[in-house]
Amino acid sequence: MAANLKEVRERIKSVISTQQITKAMKMVSAAKLRRAQQAIVDMRPYADRLNTMMVNILANADGDLNSAFGLQRDVQKVCIVVVTSSKGLCGAFNTNVIKLASARIQEQYQEVMEKGNLTVVCIGKKGNDYFRRHFKKARIVSDHVNMFQDLRYEKVQEAAQELMDGFSDQTYDIVEVAYGRFKNAATQYPEMETFLPVISEKSKETRQRADYLFEPDKNGLLDHLLPSILKTSFYKYLLDTHASEHGARMTAMEKASENAEEILKELKISYNKARQEAITKELSEIVGGAAALEGA
Amino acid sequence: MQIQILTPSGKIFEGEGTSVRVPGTGGQFEVLENHAAIVSSLDPGTIRIILADGSIKNVEIQSGFIEVLKNEVALLVTIAEAAA
Repeated sequence: MAANLKEVRERIKSVISTQQITKAMKMVSAAKLRRAQQAIVDMRPYADRLNTMMVNILANADGDLNSAFGLQRDVQKVCIVVVTSSKGLCGAFNTNVIKLASARIQEQYQEVMEKGNLTVVCIGKKGNDYFRRHFKKARIVSDHVNMFQDLRYEKVQEAAQELMDGFSDQTYDIVEVAYGRFKNAATQYPEMETFLPVISEKSKETRQRADYLFEPDKNGLLDHLLPSILKTSFYKYLLDTHASEHGARMTAMEKASENAEEILKELKISYNKARQEAITKELSEIVGGAAALEGA
Repeated sequence: MQIQILTPSGKIFEGEGTSVRVPGTGGQFEVLENHAAIVSSLDPGTIRIILADGSIKNVEIQSGFIEVLKNEVALLVTIAEAAA
């Protein structure tokens, strides 16, 4: 069957070229993942130090966190930040984050949405597309959709500042973030966290009571410190999602390359079978032809 | 004393120095050897560090904090660019 033989050959060719693409994408993601992970590692000392500083101040202040960002208000107006990637081909990664966020809205904030008090801030195209299509009653903010193209702290903190302003001027009573938490290259899980108001954890850590001088004063310092901490944790959401995206894509492409390998194996077997068949057929034709000639 | 400068995108300086001058919110001040423990927020401006070998390093910052404890100076800042 010459036609079949050709068909199989074409398929093999196409599978091979697909596999080349998935392999290349895997390599690219692996490289990007490494960089994204490095960014997380680089940020950690800064974030840790900020937190220690806060603990120190609170330990010395003998009091609670009295900040505008810590106010628990009656939840009337809700803001959900959905952090997804802008590109696909990364398995169920985006879907998981989106699913989590929309489940949260449906379970918790259905009424809020009906009243038109739900804002969804989308970072990353995938989430933006989805929420624009499916949540017509919510106010969708897409100002920061392309944040991942330029993931610098300076850029990210602007978005965080906007959210914080929105919270302090009571545009929102609560701000929640859905993002892809990064565990390692193979594991990422979607998570929902409350960004604002700040839930002040009672610091039970060892209170190292160094007698610090505080400048300007404790409260003034906290007013500076808290926004920085908030911005840093917001930055972390984005870095995490970024790393998760590449981790997820790497895994997905790895799987795709493996699958391609399997298909190739099967195709090669059927190709060889078809080839053999064709040869056998040709041979028996020749032999048959020769026999017929001899007989004549 | 030991000085380190941390930013959200990583550590940009770590080393020995003899003096750190910072633009504190309550006014510019200088930290020398055996300075008392202090925490202060910083205004936009320039941090000037005199290194152990006498050379000077300037860093432009947008905002940040300084923490001094037992001859360890930690500067947590968001930067503009490191000027030479």
